[in-house]
Amino acid sequence: MAAYLTHQQKVLRLYKKSLRHLESWCIHRDKYRYFACLLRDRFDKNKDMKDMVKATELLKAGEEEFWASQHPQPYVFPDSPGGTAYERYELYKIPEWCLDFWHPSEKAMYPDYFAKREQWKKLQRESWEREIKQLQEETPADGPRTEALPPARKEGHLPPMWWHHVTRPREQPM
Amino acid sequence: MDLSLVLTTFMLLTLAVLSTPILFPLLSDNLKSTPTIITNTVKTSFLISLIPMTIHIYSNSESLISLWEWKFIMNFKIPISLKMDFYSLTFFPIALFVSWSILQFATWYMASDPYITKFFTYLLFFLIAMLILILANNLFILFIGWEGVGIMSFLLISWWHGRAEANTAALQAVLYNRVGDIGLILCLAWLATTMNTWEIQQLPSPHQTPTLPLLGLILAATGKSAQFGLHPWLPAAMEGPTPVSALLHSSTMVVAGIFLLIRTHPLFSTNQTALTLCLCLGALSTLFAATCALTQNDIKKIIAFSTSSQLGLMMVTIGLNLPQLAFLHISTHAFFKAMLFLCSGSIIHNLNGEQDIRKMGGLQKMLPTTTACLTIGNLALMGTPFLAGFYSKDQIIENLNTSYLNTWALLLTLLATTFTAVYTIRMTVLVQTGFVRIPPLTPMNENNPAVTSPITRLALGSITAGFLITSYILPTKTPPMTMPLSIKVTALVVTALGIALALELSKLTQTLLLTKQTPLYNFSTSLGYFNPLSHRFNTTILLTGGQNIASHLIDLSWYKKFGPEGLATLQLMASKITTTLHSGLIKAYLSSFALSMFIILISTY
Repeated sequence: MAAYLTHQQKVLRLYKKSLRHLESWCIHRDKYRYFACLLRDRFDKNKDMKDMVKATELLKAGEEEFWASQHPQPYVFPDSPGGTAYERYELYKIPEWCLDFWHPSEKAMYPDYFAKREQWKKLQRESWEREIKQLQEETPADGPRTEALPPARKEGHLPPMWWHHVTRPREQPM
Repeated sequence: MDLSLVLTTFMLLTLAVLSTPILFPLLSDNLKSTPTIITNTVKTSFLISLIPMTIHIYSNSESLISLWEWKFIMNFKIPISLKMDFYSLTFFPIALFVSWSILQFATWYMASDPYITKFFTYLLFFLIAMLILILANNLFILFIGWEGVGIMSFLLISWWHGRAEANTAALQAVLYNRVGDIGLILCLAWLATTMNTWEIQQLPSPHQTPTLPLLGLILAATGKSAQFGLHPWLPAAMEGPTPVSALLHSSTMVVAGIFLLIRTHPLFSTNQTALTLCLCLGALSTLFAATCALTQNDIKKIIAFSTSSQLGLMMVTIGLNLPQLAFLHISTHAFFKAMLFLCSGSIIHNLNGEQDIRKMGGLQKMLPTTTACLTIGNLALMGTPFLAGFYSKDQIIENLNTSYLNTWALLLTLLATTFTAVYTIRMTVLVQTGFVRIPPLTPMNENNPAVTSPITRLALGSITAGFLITSYILPTKTPPMTMPLSIKVTALVVTALGIALALELSKLTQTLLLTKQTPLYNFSTSLGYFNPLSHRFNTTILLTGGQNIASHLIDLSWYKKFGPEGLATLQLMASKITTTLHSGLIKAYLSSFALSMFIILISTY
């Protein structure tokens, strides 16, 4: 992904933002649908503009209109940034290396897991070099294009960053 | 039988029972049931505390005990003295009843939290600190309870300390309360220097009290009870879990400021300045909070501003010189406000954390008990005749109407009563009625008795508490008995006006017109522009001033103002004045000379 947004992306972002703020203004669904259709029509009228200069001017005017008529308390989903439950359970997300510091009496509460934990850690140490090598070969020269990790390419290898994924904390505590 | 001894024993037994889960937590190996143990402890304490209250109602006995005395310095001793009078004996069962219901609710609400035991222990600590505050006869013991509730409030608001907003809100609460504490410490210092004691019995007579310590007490109440000026922490405190909001920030902690003013009321009774300040501050707070609540969309914030508004109303009552009525309002308000918070908590938890009323609707069919109790609570809040809120709120407005005090405060309070009705009906309509706006596939149920029984218990309290308290307790001051019909029904009329206005506005939201942003709407939505103004403007000025003082002051003053530059400025000023005098107008000089000579000659002639 390059560092700048394309015109299409900007227009679509404006459309989505304005729909969300419209939803914050028009609480009842039928009223929202009416005004959402009107908004869609306003966007559709200029959809076939081929002149980039005029299109950018329209986008700028649209952004200014959005700024003037945005909702002061827009609706934010609870788990989204700025929402009421965002990062609420961060304090329970402890990294997995803390398990090494447990007292043996605490480790005895989960004997099956801790019996195999050393073997898993040994496996992780062994496959780390191969994972890094695979990532270095597969990443293009000017940085990765996407956040998705590639699968394992050879027989007997493990996917890169598998330990990080397997030992990730839960989204919500038990 | 020595009734005061019985009273004392039972009150101390209540406190002792409450502290058992802290002192003996490890009697059982299984710590998983500690939340239920703590709930049952509070229930037992409530039942025990009913006994002294009943004794007081039937025999009007009070008691004052002095436990160990701290011999601080030579002639200044601080006894740990506890007073069991009408206020503490009546508030104990109410606080314990509300806390029991909230703790039972919290066993369901916080069931998925790994540190639920710590949560319940924190709530128990808070409750003990609050009860110490209520029982205190000594301002020092009251201060211990005061600080205790402040600290527990900080710890509980930042319960989910992974969230940045929760930490900011907790800091806000602590700092605003600290500013209020300055006032309390001022009063403590004055009292120590003049009366050499901190006992409430030994407060000086009101005619000897200067206004300064009273201002300190009012500042303390402004901080703790979120009056206008030190109010932003209360809406921000909604970052904590709902049981925290229900217990601390609606029923118990925020009334501590008003309770302080009730306890030290003898100092106030003749000082008209302090009383008028309370009246106007309370009226301003109640209107400001009600205005802000009109446009909020977060259900907890609406209820928080509603609490702030009712606290302003309690301050108005103090300003009217009616502490017992303020206490009645505290008691009835505890019931329905805690219930409102519990109902909103039930709704929020069922909707998986959704707090915005724009995404709630039609919940009457899905959560019938919760919404029924929400309606009862809202009606009680608005002062519907013969529910709990009516007995206190209507009396306050009647007294305000028939007193010869500030008309401006009266108008503000009536306007705030209208706004109370408006935002309450708005909340009810958007949350309970209409079409469903929640995401589909939301499995919700209220089949858990841990949810329904506290809410219904508090609903019963909201309906009957006002009636029961007023029928058993006689008022100390004669309420106004006769007044014109229009004055008598003012509260009802303005509330009905508010309801009609809210119903019209809700019909307006359903018509196909986009809302315009008027200045009043923007004022209400941005909470009066108070938060950015005070948080940024004030702090920038103070910090830059401090920075300038620390780095520039010495250089500026000695090397510039008192040295060469200062001298040069003075010289310049002097020379400018003399230059303007030298305007070279010969004719004017000669004529003024001639005129003055003429006047002298005439006068000596």
